[in-house]
Amino acid sequence: MALIETHNLWKTYEMGAEKVHALREVSITIEKGEYVAIIGPSGSGKSTLMNLIGCLDTPTQGEYLLNGKKVSQMNDDELANIRNREIGFVFQTFNLLARATAFHNVELPLIYNGSPAIERREKAELALRKVELSDRMYHKPTELSGGQRQRVALARALVNDPALLLADEPTGNLDSKTSLEIIDLFEELHRQGNTIIIVTHERDIATRAHRVLSILDGRIATDERMSKDSVRAY
Amino acid sequence: MIAPSLVKIAFSALLANKLRSGLTLLGVMIGVTSVMTIISALEGMMGGIEAQLARLGPATFVATTIGGVVTSEEQWFEMLKRKPLKLKAVKYIEEGCDLCEKVCPRVYTRTLMKYGNKSLRRVMVGGSTFNLIDIVDIEVAQGRFHSREDDLHRRQVAFIGEQLRETFFEGVDPLNKVIRIGGKRYTVIGVAKKQGSMFGQNQDNFVLIPISAYVKQFGQPKRNMNVTIKARSVKELDEAMDQVRMVLRSKRHVPYDKPDDFSMLTADNILETFNAITRMFRLTLIGISSISLVVGGIVVMNIMMVSVTERTREIGIRKSVGAKQKHILIQFLFEALMTTTSGGIVGIVLGFLIAKSLVGLIDMEISPSTFAIVAGLFISTGTGIIFGIYPAMKAARLDPIKALSYE
Repeated sequence: MALIETHNLWKTYEMGAEKVHALREVSITIEKGEYVAIIGPSGSGKSTLMNLIGCLDTPTQGEYLLNGKKVSQMNDDELANIRNREIGFVFQTFNLLARATAFHNVELPLIYNGSPAIERREKAELALRKVELSDRMYHKPTELSGGQRQRVALARALVNDPALLLADEPTGNLDSKTSLEIIDLFEELHRQGNTIIIVTHERDIATRAHRVLSILDGRIATDERMSKDSVRAY
Repeated sequence: MIAPSLVKIAFSALLANKLRSGLTLLGVMIGVTSVMTIISALEGMMGGIEAQLARLGPATFVATTIGGVVTSEEQWFEMLKRKPLKLKAVKYIEEGCDLCEKVCPRVYTRTLMKYGNKSLRRVMVGGSTFNLIDIVDIEVAQGRFHSREDDLHRRQVAFIGEQLRETFFEGVDPLNKVIRIGGKRYTVIGVAKKQGSMFGQNQDNFVLIPISAYVKQFGQPKRNMNVTIKARSVKELDEAMDQVRMVLRSKRHVPYDKPDDFSMLTADNILETFNAITRMFRLTLIGISSISLVVGGIVVMNIMMVSVTERTREIGIRKSVGAKQKHILIQFLFEALMTTTSGGIVGIVLGFLIAKSLVGLIDMEISPSTFAIVAGLFISTGTGIIFGIYPAMKAARLDPIKALSYE
C-alpha cells in the first residue's frame, strides 16, 4: 500500500466571480520510504499541493488517501488529528513558538495528543538528540542560530514518529553552509527509514532527492527518478 | 491529560504579557470592586436593621395609628384621617386579649435637656409604662427602670441612655441627680446599657420617663403613640394579634365591612416594609455599579481580541502540529478566566474593605458575607466566559494556512 495516493485532485479558489484552479487533476503515488522533491516556480501550485498533502487543507475535488485513510473528506478536527500523528512539518520560517524553549516547542505535538509528561520528556529529549541539540534544550528560538532553529523544527516534526516528513523550502532562510547541513540531516533521516517530501524551488536541493516532481500551472509536469549514481555524483 | 497542559500554556502566556494581563485584571477588578462594595454595604445595612428589629423580639407586635406599607396616595390620606389611638386602648387590650402577656403604651417627643450648665437640644423623650423593660431589649447598666409605683404616682423620674450619661455625668455618679427635661425637674434613677449607633444615629441618646409624668407635662399623646404588645408565645402571636384587632375594631366602632382604621406591625413586617421601600433603591445601586462590570468585560474582550490577532501565527503553529479547535478554545478561554477570576478575587477583597469603611462612616459593622463572595466569584467567572468566548472561538476557528502565513 502506498503512503500517499491522490486521484484527480483539484483545488479551486474563487476570486470574486473568477475561478482560479491552483491544482488540476493531480494524481500521484508516493511509497513509504521515498525521498521526493516537489519543484516549480512560484504560483505553480506547489504550496497548494503541499497544504493538501500536509492535511492543512482539503481538495475541491478528487480523492486523497494517506496511509490508507481517506483524508479528502475529513473535517477540521480529524485533519488536526492526522497532522498530529502522521505528519511532521518543517517550514521555511521555522514556525517555532518564540517565547517557548526548544524543549517545549518539540514536546508541543505530544501535548495535543495527550501524552503524559514523562513520555513527552523522553521523546522530546530523544528527538533533540537526533538533531544534535541536546545542549540547547532550554534555549529559546531567539537564542539560537538559523540552522539550530531549523533543527529544533525538525526535532518537533520527528517527535511523534510521523509517517511523513513534509518540508516547505526548509533552506529558504538559511545560508548555503547551513543549508547543506540541514539537507545532510534530511538525507540521514531518510537513510533511517523516514519518508520525506521537500518542496523547493532550488534545483540543486531537489536533485539530492531520489525523485523529483515538477509542477507547472497546477499540473504535474515531470516525474523523474534520480539514479543513485547521480545522487552520489552530486 | 491535555487540560492541565493547556492551563499551563495559558498561564505562561499570561506571564509573558504581564502588562496586558494586568490591565485586563484591573478592568475586571474595578467592576467587581464596585459591585462588591454595593452588595456588601447593602447587606451590612440590612443586617444592622434586622439586628435592630430583633430587639423588639419575635413575639412582640405594635398597634399604631399610622404605619405599614403605603402603596397609594389614597391609602396615605386614609391613614392621615384616622382617629389617633388613645391611652384607653391599653386598658381595652389588657382586658380583651388573654393571649397578650404585656401591653405597653409608648410615646415620643423631642425636647431640651439640661443639667447644671450643660444642655442638649432635641433629646428623645419617651413615655411608657414600667413594663416596657420586659418587652423590648433594653438592659439596665446602673440603677433601675421606673416601677409601677412611679407610674401610679406620676413620679418625675428618668431612665437615661448611655450617651446622655456621658454628656452630662462624665466622671460623676448620675443616680439621684436632678435633670431638667423641657423645664421640669426629673431625678435620674437608672442608666441603660450602650446600644451603639445606626445610620449615624446614636441609639443611646434617649431618656425614658413614666407615661403618667409624660402626659402631665406634654399632654395626651396624639398620633405619636403606639401600643407595644408581647404575646404569650411566638406560636400564639397571630392569635393574639387577632384578639387585639377585634378589641380595637369594636372599641373604635369600625363597621364589619370596613378595613382596620389602625395598623398592626411585627418585627417581620416592619422589615418587609423596609425591604419593599428600599428594593428599587438597592436594585438601582447594583444596576449602576454593574455598568462598570460591563465596561470591565468589554476591556477583557478587547484585549483578548488584540491578543488573538497578535498571536495568529502562534495559533497556526499549534494547529499545524495537531491542536484541535477545542484545544485552542480552551487555551484562550482559560486565559480569560484566569485573569477575570483573579481580578474578581482582588475585587471581592477590595470591595469588602471599601464597604467596611463606608459603612463605618455611619457607625456600623459588616462582616464578609458568603453571598457577596459567591456572587463576586460568579460574576467575575461569568465575565470571563461571556466576554472571553467570542475571541477564543475566533482563535479556534482560524484557518491554519492563513494563520501560518500571517505577518
